[in-house]
Amino acid sequence: MLKNVRIWFEKKGAARYISHLDLVRCMTRALRLARVPVWYTEGYNPRVYMAFAMPLSLGVCGNRECMDIRITEEISNEELVHRLSERLPEDLPILAGTDPVHRLEEVAYAEYQMDLRCSDSLALDGKIRSLLQMNTIFVLKHSKKGDREMDVKPYFRDLDIRSIDRNMLALSVRLPCSTAGSINPSLLVDAMRRYEGEELVPYITRTRLLLADFSDFF
Amino acid sequence: MFPKAVEDLLPRVQKPGRYVGGELNSTVKSKEAVDVRFAFCFPDTYEIGMSHLGMKILYGAINQVPYFWCERVFAPWIDMEQKMREKHIELYALESGDPLSAFDMIGFTLQYELSYTNILNMLDLAGIPLKSKDRPGLMNLVVAGGPCACNPEPLAEFFDLFFLGDGEELDIEVMELYRQCKHNGTSKEEFLRLAAQIEGVYVPSLYEVAYNPNGTVCSYTATQGAPQRVRKRNIMDLDHAYYPDSFPVPMIEVVFDRISEEVLRGCIRGCRFCQAGFLYRPFREKSIETIDAQSKTLCESTGYDEVSLSSLSTSDYRRLFELIDTLHQWTEPDKVSISLPSLRVDNFSPELMERINSVRKTGLTFAPEAGSQRMRDVINKNVTEDQLIHTVETAFAEGWNRIKLYFMIGLPTETLEDVQAILDLGKKVVDTYYQHKDRPGGKAVEVSLSVAAFVPKPFTPFQWFGQDTEEILGEKQKILREKVPSKRINVSYHGAKTSYLEAVFARGDRRLGQVLETVFHMGQHFDGWDECFDFDRWMQAFAQCGLDPDFYAVRSRPFDEVFPWDHLDYGIRKEFLQEECEKAYREETTPNCLEQCSHCGAACFKGGVCVEKRADLV
Repeated sequence: MLKNVRIWFEKKGAARYISHLDLVRCMTRALRLARVPVWYTEGYNPRVYMAFAMPLSLGVCGNRECMDIRITEEISNEELVHRLSERLPEDLPILAGTDPVHRLEEVAYAEYQMDLRCSDSLALDGKIRSLLQMNTIFVLKHSKKGDREMDVKPYFRDLDIRSIDRNMLALSVRLPCSTAGSINPSLLVDAMRRYEGEELVPYITRTRLLLADFSDFF
Repeated sequence: MFPKAVEDLLPRVQKPGRYVGGELNSTVKSKEAVDVRFAFCFPDTYEIGMSHLGMKILYGAINQVPYFWCERVFAPWIDMEQKMREKHIELYALESGDPLSAFDMIGFTLQYELSYTNILNMLDLAGIPLKSKDRPGLMNLVVAGGPCACNPEPLAEFFDLFFLGDGEELDIEVMELYRQCKHNGTSKEEFLRLAAQIEGVYVPSLYEVAYNPNGTVCSYTATQGAPQRVRKRNIMDLDHAYYPDSFPVPMIEVVFDRISEEVLRGCIRGCRFCQAGFLYRPFREKSIETIDAQSKTLCESTGYDEVSLSSLSTSDYRRLFELIDTLHQWTEPDKVSISLPSLRVDNFSPELMERINSVRKTGLTFAPEAGSQRMRDVINKNVTEDQLIHTVETAFAEGWNRIKLYFMIGLPTETLEDVQAILDLGKKVVDTYYQHKDRPGGKAVEVSLSVAAFVPKPFTPFQWFGQDTEEILGEKQKILREKVPSKRINVSYHGAKTSYLEAVFARGDRRLGQVLETVFHMGQHFDGWDECFDFDRWMQAFAQCGLDPDFYAVRSRPFDEVFPWDHLDYGIRKEFLQEECEKAYREETTPNCLEQCSHCGAACFKGGVCVEKRADLV
């Protein structure tokens, strides 16, 4: 038998500093350790089959990330989750194993939360709002094809800003996140540096993966 | 774990995964529940340190004692270091995130002379005084072990004690003594006096050095009851020695991302340039049963799918085929591959290659070390040109088309003809490929010759030898650059200047401590990395201290000279090394330990191959 299982996990703490490639290696070792009957690719160098929705940027936490694996023998999702959990570092906990509902390519958006530590959250709130009043907000966007100037104003129009306390501002935003193109929430930090001279260290978490109609991806 | 303040730095540094800990199998204890906290410091980057087998062994050995806690500390790369200094963040350990200054014992491993500046930098980053005499308390005791501890004199002022030889038992014994002394409120001086009585412990402050007017050592005098000669510690029975059943598995990619299973310690060969070949005598093998069980346990605790059978010369393991066949019983069904880190020219065979299925047919590496037979006889590298040609023929027949060969230049008695012979040998390998009938079709052969400058080391037959000067090395290098006989040959040559500094510190004395301190204060560290190494700065530091580096590196020593390491005893007799040196100059070879005992002195440890070969010891 061959069956796809969607594994949901969290990436936080120390684990947010591992790259996507390192995450793949980490998951491979854990699957081996947990003796999950995984399917190996049949190329010249067989490897454990694993497919991810959209990779997370280095340093960004994920509340509900997922990867698909293919199993060759019957094993309950509960058993799989239990065995895998024991074999992963603390900061990569497994949340659930489910039968895939959507195709991975259907992910179109993601919701992010950005925590900004600052000396005066009211003042920072004002600065961000005035930034968003501008007609265009150009920042340098890195891509494989090279760097280019891009107007990110349309993406951050609906930014939600909440003041947690005097020293903490929480922003949340929904951004495109698909193989066709993604917008990194940290572009807002770049814009703040360029236009307001503000040096911010954001703590970013991807909270949800969404479909084209903004409903949850399962 | 990492301190909260570090979080703001991590988004702005390369590879932040180096600084966060949290790996599978890392040991976290409660600091209130332990008596002695040990910081195992590796004076290089995370990726290099995490590849080191010795650290994994000692980490496990210390942590299996309930009242000890060993944590890991690595040198932050320069971008991270700069940010830590800006924000006044002390160097911290990865398990607890606590600063180094919170540790009872701070232990460094001495793998390489050019990492010495990193040691000073790490202490400084932790706000710990560099010199032993400026640390009056028992807290923050700074210790070291590893191969360079065989001549630790350039570091003598900075360290409180050194561990000589195998650390598995020794480190634990010293920590037990520390625990007692800490409990009783014993002074640091008294602790060091007591520690010096443990075999394998060298406390440099208990030895007085006198120098001759010409700058050489006149004598070492032991004081306060310390032994006149300090003998290294040896673990004789590897089957019963501690070996870890798990180790922290890095989340980011490191240099050697696999399990290292040590199959033997020591080496039978006696290559005259090789320090490890003498320091780790006698040759001791683990049993197949032990290797099998340990490898399996490690696979089950780490999830790695590759086991490297490591040692100084794994193909000298006497029951290698049987070992690999035993391992295959479970490695094949579990999709675990077996690899050998070092292959010898004289025992490479299709049978061996068949068993090591994991070896990808991309490249093979051998180390003939010298180009001419005469030169190989001088260094006692007992392989012949015929063996090498036969070996590459076998490799070509098995489908390889890339061969890498390691050589040294600047060896004792070497002439320009010997250097030319390196290129000639490369050409013969290329010709062998084109004469070979079954060579893989359509592919060209690639032969890389990697050539390093020889560094004379203590405890070798070449410890008296003056390293070639830069001028002579330059002349030899010129031949390698200009006379490459084929486009299929690629010659890489590296590090005459770094080799020179290595030579200075390998055979240095206590006076070099001030050079290290001076150059460190000039901002020098990570000398093993090209982007950080600054030779001119080093020369400036020598000049400021009024010391001539040539005295240490290029001066030939007379046989009766007292060396800064003569009071350290690795079991090898100085007379034996002298005999070997004289034989080298006569171009005579010495048989390996399995063929015939050469009475080097290591039989004093009463074990390993010495017992098998010398009936009078049993």
